[in-house]
This record gives sequence, C-alpha cells and structure tokens, in this order.
Amino acid sequence: MAKKVLIIGLDCAPPGLVFDRWKHLLPSLRGLMEEGIYGKLESTIPPITIPAWTSMVTSKNPGTLGFYGIRNRQDYSYDKMIFANSVYVKEDTLWDILSRKGKKVVAMAVPQTYPPKPVNGCMITCFLTPDTNSRYTYPDSLKREIQSWVGEYMLDVDNFRTEEKEELLKQIYQMTEKQFNVALHLLKEKEWDFFMMVQMGVDRIHHAFWKFSDPSHAQYVPGSKYEHAIRDYYIYVDQKVGELLSHLDDETAVLVASDHGAKAMVGGICVNEWLMKNGYLQLKQKPSGITPFAKVQVDWEKTVAWGEGGYYSRIFLNVKGREPQGLVSPSDYERVREELRKGLEAITDDHGVNIGTKAYKPEEIYKEARNIPPDLIVYFGNLSWRSVGSIGHGSIVTFENDTGPDDANHDTHGIFIMKAPGLKNKGQRDGLKILDVAPTVLSLLGMDVPKDMEGRIIE
Amino acid sequence: MQDSKGTPTSDRGFTIWFTGLSGSGKSTLSRLVEAELRSRRFTKIEILDGDMVRTHLSKGLGFTREDRDTNIKRIGFVCNLLSRNGVIAIAAAISPYREVRDFIRKDIVDFVEVFCHCPLSVCIERDVKGLYKKAIAGEIKNYTGLDDPYEPPLNPEVVLETDKETPEESVSKIMHKLEMLGYIPAGEAIYTEEEEEKVKKRLEGWGYL
Repeated sequence: MAKKVLIIGLDCAPPGLVFDRWKHLLPSLRGLMEEGIYGKLESTIPPITIPAWTSMVTSKNPGTLGFYGIRNRQDYSYDKMIFANSVYVKEDTLWDILSRKGKKVVAMAVPQTYPPKPVNGCMITCFLTPDTNSRYTYPDSLKREIQSWVGEYMLDVDNFRTEEKEELLKQIYQMTEKQFNVALHLLKEKEWDFFMMVQMGVDRIHHAFWKFSDPSHAQYVPGSKYEHAIRDYYIYVDQKVGELLSHLDDETAVLVASDHGAKAMVGGICVNEWLMKNGYLQLKQKPSGITPFAKVQVDWEKTVAWGEGGYYSRIFLNVKGREPQGLVSPSDYERVREELRKGLEAITDDHGVNIGTKAYKPEEIYKEARNIPPDLIVYFGNLSWRSVGSIGHGSIVTFENDTGPDDANHDTHGIFIMKAPGLKNKGQRDGLKILDVAPTVLSLLGMDVPKDMEGRIIE
Repeated sequence: MQDSKGTPTSDRGFTIWFTGLSGSGKSTLSRLVEAELRSRRFTKIEILDGDMVRTHLSKGLGFTREDRDTNIKRIGFVCNLLSRNGVIAIAAAISPYREVRDFIRKDIVDFVEVFCHCPLSVCIERDVKGLYKKAIAGEIKNYTGLDDPYEPPLNPEVVLETDKETPEESVSKIMHKLEMLGYIPAGEAIYTEEEEEKVKKRLEGWGYL
C-alpha cells in the first residue's frame, strides 16, 4: 500500500520511444521502470485524448462514458456537435471518489476537466479551456498563486502554424516549463494524497516534428535541424520528471502513463470524397476549392452517409425516422452499414495497395453506447492515415492536410510505468489496459474499488 | 435538478439568503448570482431585495426591532412559498438579528445563508446610498452598525469577504457551495460563441477535428 499516489501523464507517449529507442537517454523514466513494472498500455477505441484520459480516471469505456471524440453529436440533427467538456462527464473520476472519502487531491491539466469542478484539493483545467481569462482553476484563488509562480500560465500551445517551427518549438518548451514549475509548487506546497498531471507537450511535438526524426516517414529529410527535436524534448521532460521525483518519499507510488501512442502519418483519406464517389453522399452544389464539410450544401434527401475528419473517422448513416431527412430505412440499416464497412476496408493508396483500414461497429466494442455513437468508427490504414473531412480535394488520397500538422497520428498503445512500495514481480508486463489505471490507484491507496469499474488492479 | 439532456429542471427550488451591513454588497451580488444562474439555464429565479420589499410588501414598517423582524419574516415567508414551488429565491436584506434569521432557516428546508462580511469602516466609505452620512449626522436613527446592532451569523453556508474579494470571486464561492450542496449541477458552464470558436480553432490546429 502507498501513502500517496502521483500520476504523471505524458499525452501520446509511445512505448517504442520510451521503452526502447531513447530509454538510455531518460534516466528518470528508466529508473522507475527498473524499480517497478512497465508495459504497453492498450488505449480506448478510439485512441484519442478524449475519451482516453477520462476512461483512465473513471475505468469506464467510451461507450459507457458516451464520448466518441472531442466533439460529439448533441442530437440527430446534422450540425449540432458539442465539445465533450467536463459538464458531460457523469461518471465518477478518481478525484471525485477520493474527494468524497476525504482524501486531498490535485488534478492538473487532465483533459476534459474544463470547466473546473469542486474537489477536496485543487484543480487546473485542460486545453478545452478557452484561455486564461476563463475560470481554469479550483479554487479560484489558485489562479493568483499560479500567476505569482510562473506569470501567465499556458493551457496549450496555440501557435500551431506548421511553417513557424522555431516559434512552435519555443512555445512547446515554454508551456512544458511553466506546467512542470506549477506542478512542483503544488507538489511541495499543497497537501495531497493523490496528484495527477498531464503534459500535452509530448503530443504537440509529435504532431509537429515527427517527420524530421523518423526515417520511415514519407517526408523524412535527413539532417534537418529538427532531426533531434523530439528526442531532445523527451530528455528535457525526463529531467522535469526527475525534479518532481526528487521531492517524493518511498511511501509514494509513482505512475507514468500515456493515453495513446503515436506513429508516422502516411497521408489522409478524404472520407467524404470517397462517400461521394461511391454514391453515398450527394451535394447540392460542389464547392469551389477545399471547403470544410460543415460549410458544403449537402443534399440530405439523397445522402446515405457522411464522415467526420480527425485522427480517425466517424461515419454516420442518414437513417429514416432518426435523422431529419433520413434516407436509409431502418430495415436496410445493417445491410448498408456492412456494405460501407467492406467498402471502407478496401480503400487503397495512390499505388492501388490496400492500406489496411479497420472499421468498428460500436456494439461490437462497447457493452453499451450512451449518447449518440457513430455508426462506424474507422481507422484508415490502421491509423497510419488520418481522416480528412473537407471536400474539394479532387481525390480520395491526399498528402495535403486540411487542418493541423500532418507528421504523426495516434496509435493504439501508450505507456504504463509504476513504481510502488511493496511491489512484487518487477519488470515488463503484457496485457495492461487503460481501464486498469483507476482501480490500481484506489487499490494502492487501500481503498475499495467500485464494482462498476471495468478494469482490473495491476499488481 | 437536471434532466437527461443536462437542462436544469425546476422541481426543487431553494433560497439564497444574503445578510450583511448596508453597503456590504448584498444587492450587487444577488444580481450577479442571478445572472450566473440564468447563464446556466435556470429560468425561475426571484430576487427579494430589502429596499424593494420595503416599498411594497412591507410598506409602512419602520426600523424598530419589531418592525425589522416583521419585515424579515415576510421576506422569509415569500421565499419559502417560492422555493417550495421550484423557484430559486434570492433574498438580499440586512437582516441584522440572528434569531429571526434562524427562525427563517427552520422554516425553509433548502436555505443557503450567505454572509457578506465587510468592515463597517469600508461600508461607511462606500456609502452607496448616502445613508451612513445621514445616520452619522444623526438624521437617521436605529441605523444598523451604528446605533443598532448587527449580529453576524454563526454557521452560514458561505462567508464572503467583500472588501477583499472581487465580485466574481464572491459569486464563484456561492456557485461552488450550491454545487457542493447539490442544488445545481457542477460546472454547468457553456462556452460563449467566441470561446467556442477559440477552442475549435485550437483543436483543428492540432488535427483533432
């Protein structure tokens, strides 16, 4: 049993980099691995920041949580998408449970915590917070303390224009430094039994700099000045982790975890272009130039399905009696969905080679699917390709991204490292799941694990 | 107090009772709390402001202890009627005597007492209505804090320090308490259009959308 538990979340950290490629350069993480247990951590489907972190801290799968991405359909209309912020989290998180039991908690920058909720301790919200003028702390007075420690706090890196790499890199470091400094203050000055922080800089640097350091990336240019940008950043983060660890005693358990992994991005699949080409999606008017899907005029009466862009795709069927101008009759729904699944899984790259797409039906992966799940969850090229939602590319395969940087995509497995007092059987473990983290934390603190938690205790 | 779609329902009301010296911020904060509750989609809210009540409900009552008690009991009576019918009632009255406030607390099941603590010197300095000046000059008798006592609550749900906090901080304290007590859902905040656009741009920028 541990007296306290600290979780350091590294958003997007993949096992390949931490456990293998750069292990020798990361003494803090390596030390934890050597003194504890570690292994690949299977993420949620989809392996996206939201819902993955909330699945980690609730031990509930995305279907139970009712989150299928950062934005979710509010109803069955075509255009109402809402951000999955903390208001919609209805399941107990670790800090909810521990606060009720009188334990002192600190939750810092954990995705899906904006707007902040009262806890027995303090909270700093995540990148879903508009800016630092918003209420981003609990209690409010913490905001002033943060300002006195680090000046203007950074919730995320906003300067993501891909051409300005130097500035972007600077900002990633600035954010990381400020956040770790705040974490250090909280760790030293506040009373806590459970402390969790999430560092988003790891995810940001992967998305923006992966192609410079990965020879397998299609756009890799050897010898770039950014060749070691990600490696150097990991070394920096490892030092910061080391600073935190130096203030802990032996009775504190330390967990390092990521919500998902990362892999090189090959390109994009224009999902709505594919649906149009195959007769599933009709427009009233073809837009001139590349246009976001939300801005094109869809002929809904003649449309069978449409898709969302992102690191993975969500396909929605236009069902009679469900969507306002539904076309697919409920009796034909399963046949159409299966046909779509087969069609999507047969998508090829620009050389005609099947890219290995996987399409999931929600009921096959979740025990229940609350709120409004997509009809299909699609990993193009098993996540080596992103989903491009905009229209006007003139082809299904694209190497020009519609939004954001295009270096890395998410992968299905993140990392898990745990050093805890009295841990037996140290070393590498297989079969670890993101849902196992919350019951493990409760067990470390000697508390009962609620029966509805879906994971198991990692011992 | 929330249906399955997250919209607050109004099957259960409650009373927020502001008490404190004249000039301690009761009226200002009651309006700000009302605005915050409305932004969280609550629609049935009534403010019973001490000054306003004295021109209607308690017209003719003076400032003797008996009259003051009658005034407060009337406000309490209306708050009780409102809150037991699903309305959020907000009372903002000096209500200087502990005994009558506790009498009301016993009457109203869902009662949240908010003590606007503010030193008398600061209230005199503020003197929004110019009444302290008159009272000090002897033109008004039985003025709370000067020649009539103010008895601070012993166990209020919320204590505000309005000379030290910003109004936003005070409102936030009240909202947190209401959340903790389960009267309103936690963190039911909605992005403004501008904020939503900002978040959307960030998420697009990082490839999530």
